[in-house]
Amino acid sequence: MTPAKVKKRRRHSARKEKSGVWYPKWYWPSFITPATVFLAFMFVLPLYVVLSVAFGTVDFENFGLSVPYYAPWWWSFSTFNQTLSKFYVGSHIYQAPLVRTFEYVVFASIICLVVGYAVAYYTARFATKHRGLILILLVSPFWISYLMRIYAWQGLLDLNGPINWLLRPVGFGNTNFLEGRSITVVLGLVYGYIPFMILPLYASLDRIQESLLEAGRDLGGNGAQTFWRVTLPLSRPAILAGIVIVTLPMFGDYYTNDLLGSTKTAMFGNLIAQQREASGGATRAASLVLILSVIVLIPMMYYLRETRRQAEQA
Amino acid sequence: MSAAVQKPVKASGVSGYFRNPWRRPRFLQATTIVYLLWSLLPVVIAVIFSFNGGRSRSAWQGFSLHWWTIDPSDSLLHDAAIRAAMLQTFRLSFFTVLIAVPLGTLFAIGIDRWHGRPARAANFTMLLSFVVPEIILGVSLYILFTSLFRSVIQLGTQAQLLGLIAYQISYPVIIVRARLLSIGPEYEEAAMDLGATPSKAIRRVLLPLLAPAILASVALVFADTVDDFVTVAALSGAANTETLAQKIYSAARASPTPEVNAAATTMLISTMLVIGGGLIFYKRFNRGQDTGGAADFVQL
Amino acid sequence: MRHPKDLSRRQFLTRAGGAAIAMPSLAAILAACSKPGSTGPSGGASEIPIATLENPVELPMTRDPIAANTPLESGPLVLYNWADYIWKPVVHQFEDQFGVSVEITEFNNLEEGIQKVANGQVLADVFVPTPGYLRRLVGKDLLQPLQQELVPNMQANVWPSYYNPGPYYDLSWNYSVPYTIYTWGVAYRRDRLSDEEAASQGWDALWNSDYNGEISLYNSYGDTIAVTVLRNGSLDVNTGDPALIEAAKQSILQTINDNKARLTINGVYAKLPAGDITVAEAWSGDIVGGQWYLPKDVGTDVLGFWRPPTGQTMIGNDLLTIPSAAKSPRLAHEFINFMLDKKHGTDNFVNWNGYQPPFTSIDPSTLIADGVVPENLAAAVVTEDMFKKDLTPYELTPTVDQMWLDAWTEITAGA
Repeated sequence: MTPAKVKKRRRHSARKEKSGVWYPKWYWPSFITPATVFLAFMFVLPLYVVLSVAFGTVDFENFGLSVPYYAPWWWSFSTFNQTLSKFYVGSHIYQAPLVRTFEYVVFASIICLVVGYAVAYYTARFATKHRGLILILLVSPFWISYLMRIYAWQGLLDLNGPINWLLRPVGFGNTNFLEGRSITVVLGLVYGYIPFMILPLYASLDRIQESLLEAGRDLGGNGAQTFWRVTLPLSRPAILAGIVIVTLPMFGDYYTNDLLGSTKTAMFGNLIAQQREASGGATRAASLVLILSVIVLIPMMYYLRETRRQAEQA
Repeated sequence: MSAAVQKPVKASGVSGYFRNPWRRPRFLQATTIVYLLWSLLPVVIAVIFSFNGGRSRSAWQGFSLHWWTIDPSDSLLHDAAIRAAMLQTFRLSFFTVLIAVPLGTLFAIGIDRWHGRPARAANFTMLLSFVVPEIILGVSLYILFTSLFRSVIQLGTQAQLLGLIAYQISYPVIIVRARLLSIGPEYEEAAMDLGATPSKAIRRVLLPLLAPAILASVALVFADTVDDFVTVAALSGAANTETLAQKIYSAARASPTPEVNAAATTMLISTMLVIGGGLIFYKRFNRGQDTGGAADFVQL
Repeated sequence: MRHPKDLSRRQFLTRAGGAAIAMPSLAAILAACSKPGSTGPSGGASEIPIATLENPVELPMTRDPIAANTPLESGPLVLYNWADYIWKPVVHQFEDQFGVSVEITEFNNLEEGIQKVANGQVLADVFVPTPGYLRRLVGKDLLQPLQQELVPNMQANVWPSYYNPGPYYDLSWNYSVPYTIYTWGVAYRRDRLSDEEAASQGWDALWNSDYNGEISLYNSYGDTIAVTVLRNGSLDVNTGDPALIEAAKQSILQTINDNKARLTINGVYAKLPAGDITVAEAWSGDIVGGQWYLPKDVGTDVLGFWRPPTGQTMIGNDLLTIPSAAKSPRLAHEFINFMLDKKHGTDNFVNWNGYQPPFTSIDPSTLIADGVVPENLAAAVVTEDMFKKDLTPYELTPTVDQMWLDAWTEITAGA
């Protein structure tokens, strides 16, 4: 390559790689462009359209179709406010499902954490002989459709099903678990999402080095103290990540209740899912999606910040 | 000599475990076993009941292939609606993989090498699409396709496909990026020092190195789209664009028969096959390399 | 009647449909930015009053019907219909007779169907709405007037009320012909309660704790609230009275909470024959269709249907209409005429569908004598007299509709 050519190439190049190879300025950006354009149209734009619909109006003469206002300076908040007010004004018909969702999510997350921690802890620390098998079993729920697993539960909890058969000798024979019981829905949520809790916990506990625990003991701590002072703090990031990872989908869940509960256990997701069929439904659904987005924004941002922090550490 | 050695700790149960975490913890072991049974037994039972002779999916009425092949209208083999739903499911999964995995792989490579401000913004959007609850994305896309794009993209196969890609595209990005981080830029640079052009270095050196991660993404995206319900249901159009998951859902709400169990079992088996295949390939490609790879794959 | 600005944009968007994604969306954004109010509630439909029995409406002609000598198109004919709401062999017969193919596109509920027609997402040749939507469909120029010369079977086979002078929602049948007609009542298992018990309880059977866990109400706010208003002693099935709506809501919640009544869509035709349900709010067509869902060893005599005396329950019908966007309007007319043929309409009814066409040739005694409808379901056969005297669900005004919806949300969201 003649010096002149090198000079010419240098003008067009973005930056120098360690090996001395020159990339044109557009080279790496061209890799991320297709997916980014796709996301712009199919992820960012829809979220903007949701705003435009939620802050638009409804044309009842046109079958309750939404009339979106795409320009922010024309946004009108009256329809959105009507939806919002149903959470706290008058007979506040949206309040109960919202409160219920928070209750269910909190209880389900706590159960996920306690049971999940025990299982992850056992697998990481004690399951030496069968660890591979246990890991495969722990992971397998990921590959089984959530719907199928909840459907399977439905069969078990049936009035004539095995659970009632098992409970009969204890005197709880004919319990209809599927008639809208909070406990069934909460356990359904736990059942559905606990694998997402166990795996990050396992990964984190598995990384804690035995030597740290030995050190804890050598410094005079007993088992419980070592656990509280060493293991638990070291797994704190994984606990928080696990909690976020299970709560996010729970907030939007509606099919668990559809299959295991009734109208009495309806959650926020059910409110959204029901709107699709009603007149003015798209506009109300947009408002509800907006409200849900605000609710999950904090855990979402927390999770993104944490993953970035971990990526930087790595 | 310390007292602990002279007089070994002898305790049982929870308190015993706290005093000596290195002994066999029966309580934790029991919890784990009960949990595993709880998480998998229902599925096993559901599969077994697809072979039930009667209509019930909770009371055993004898072994039969009734719901698989025998019943002339309500068996998996003879129910045209279920077959159409399966076809739709696999068609969607196939095309989602075909589009999402290449797009995601390219994105991961680009984001690994280019750290400009736009790249960071793009990466943030990508991660956001990974954590956002599915119902938010599904309903947003439904609203998009029924308002702004209403005369461009119809609800139905096209819309479902676009929605699935949007929801799945972050998986290959995350998997491939993790792999990129672990292999580093050295191989590629060596290739270019030996005279390869950048694109040749990527094709001949980087892509083979990324193959396990790409295959893992294929398996994962395929399995996840076969199972998808929320996005596919929000964006389905006419009744003939309903997928197997939607059929299972509506049957489970209405009047479930073991036929639904059979359909779900089919879905389960196909997912397992794809995942199993993916794992085998992954192991083959990874032979001789770090063994942590399989665990990474399994986690994602 | 058409709204020029609205229409031109619609047409523009439709034409641009095949072009790149960015173009029409940009056009839509620009359009929306330039005048956000222009698409507001100002459509032509508002000039047509809501039709009632007291104020029947002749829908205005938004355009000319097609000429009677329009040549037959080569198809395919697109039928946009409820899921599983037509007997496929009848459709095949039409295909054979006219040498075209018929594409059936289905919707699972009418709101969804209407929205897709209004959005232009489904371009159908024949669409099956209910009268409550007709006014707005015509006002938005989504339907085309019928060329009545091409539908001779209307006057040959259908009840005179439908063409002379025509139904209250479409005098002179400018836009619609009836597809099926049905009434509201209580379906029950005769092996669990006798006809006398059912008749003496009436609607109250749906509130009877004896049938705890085996009661079904339709998961459809319009139907179930109206039926509950009837049960609570009022005949105002289109009520805008907050007290009546509140009372209906409380009643529905009561039977859900105390008697574990279930909200279903297939309670009548599938779950009642299967034995899971004992009493159910029912459309007459559902229970007639239910006989084909019975287990093989169970006779049709287990199914019963009660309806209040004529004038004290509702009657409704589904319509066949031709959208403005139809690509094969002549074929669409032929299809409508085909379905109004005595044999084809009756075949569709008695072999599979269970929903009855309003034909003069069909009368309760022959249906029962021929064994098409079991004697115990005689009450499910609809007569022209009922059509004239029964109550009718109308289109609700937006305000009333929202009141009903809010009440229903309270029920379904467990507020």
